Amino acid sequence: MQPPVITLAECSKRFGERLALRKATLSVAAGETVVVLGPNGAGKSTMLRLIAGLLRPTAGSARIGEVEAISAPKQVRAGIAYAGHQPQLYRGLTARENLELHLRLHQMAADTSALLERVGLGDRADERIDGFSRGMLQRLALARATAHEPVLLLLDEPASGLDADGRALLDDTLRAGIGQRTQVVASHDHELAARLGVREVRLENGGIA
Amino acid sequence: MIGAALAIARVKLVLEIRRREVIFAMLLFIAATIVIVHFALSGDTGAGNRAAAGMLWAAVVFTAVLGLLRTFSAEHEGGVLDALLLAPIDRAAIWLGTALAQFGFLIVIEVVAVPIWWVLFFQSEGPSIGTVVIALLLADVGIALVGTLSAALALGARTRDVLLPVLVLPLLIPVVLGGVTATYGAFGEEVGGLRPLGFLALYDLVFIALAWGTSEHLLSD
Repeated sequence: MQPPVITLAECSKRFGERLALRKATLSVAAGETVVVLGPNGAGKSTMLRLIAGLLRPTAGSARIGEVEAISAPKQVRAGIAYAGHQPQLYRGLTARENLELHLRLHQMAADTSALLERVGLGDRADERIDGFSRGMLQRLALARATAHEPVLLLLDEPASGLDADGRALLDDTLRAGIGQRTQVVASHDHELAARLGVREVRLENGGIA
Repeated sequence: MIGAALAIARVKLVLEIRRREVIFAMLLFIAATIVIVHFALSGDTGAGNRAAAGMLWAAVVFTAVLGLLRTFSAEHEGGVLDALLLAPIDRAAIWLGTALAQFGFLIVIEVVAVPIWWVLFFQSEGPSIGTVVIALLLADVGIALVGTLSAALALGARTRDVLLPVLVLPLLIPVVLGGVTATYGAFGEEVGGLRPLGFLALYDLVFIALAWGTSEHLLSD
């Protein structure tokens, strides 16, 4: 049996006085997609950042495969994509330049025009993104997150700011990834797990309900 | 590693060319500082070579701090640092690329500032320009390395704009000492030959090693 791709074991994270995540335990298998639901402040973003290795647990552990997420080596990081609340894009660069930088840092070559076309930004490829709307930035963030074909995709409220077409594109992207890569999506969309036919996990007050 | 650092440095230079947020402010600041000190000395060019040398280095260091305040601003505003931390690159590449860009900014401001300093303070004979340029280049390496390291340290702090100068200025005192001594020596004064330049080079090497060894942890949570 394959070991889980993600293992949270009694994982807690405290920011000063506030306990953002409380003894969360979760296991996600290779190829599995999980939707994490919960109200604002429930700890969804903290959980995703712990899994991505962007935060160090205060207690417990967050592991990617066999390694602690916080100290994941380059080879492991190469397979992770995380799109958070912020687009993680340089505002003064064009959409294409942002993707080119991302691919360069991943030592990959890909057709940026095709990637941008896929998210509906083909005709805005060479515009600086500081003029982009929230929805356009989300589309570009999705293109960036999937550009290097990650084996683990972490999306934090990816539908916020997206129009109906954008949400359909997001659903299609997630559907295409089911069974192909491990996906964890933090969302307020209570229908998402049912639409995709995947497991959902509920977070409340920093703990898994 | 080097490829990633160059890619990051290139992006930061492109952003600066497009936005003109840092260099323009640095240029105005250093030019104004040199001119103000010149008038504060009542245009007295006989204030002494050591005073002129000290003036240049104080202006360079304070201007550098002004630029360092914006070191990771482009990464901070869009959450780009998360993407860089998750990229399969040595985290030292993030620091090195940023330091390279800072080095570039310093070169640009000095290309403008040094002639102004020269014209205002030396109407006849000035220092050996070769020595001053070498001292500035060595100092720029140190300022960029130490400044970027300090900016990374201050990154998570809510009061980083206050914290950064407090962190970085004491660390730059050796640069000022080495720079002033080298510049004073460039007037033909006996201050130990090439020793000040060697001191600046040693400072650079120490902080290259320090930053290389700590950047992985500094840039993590």
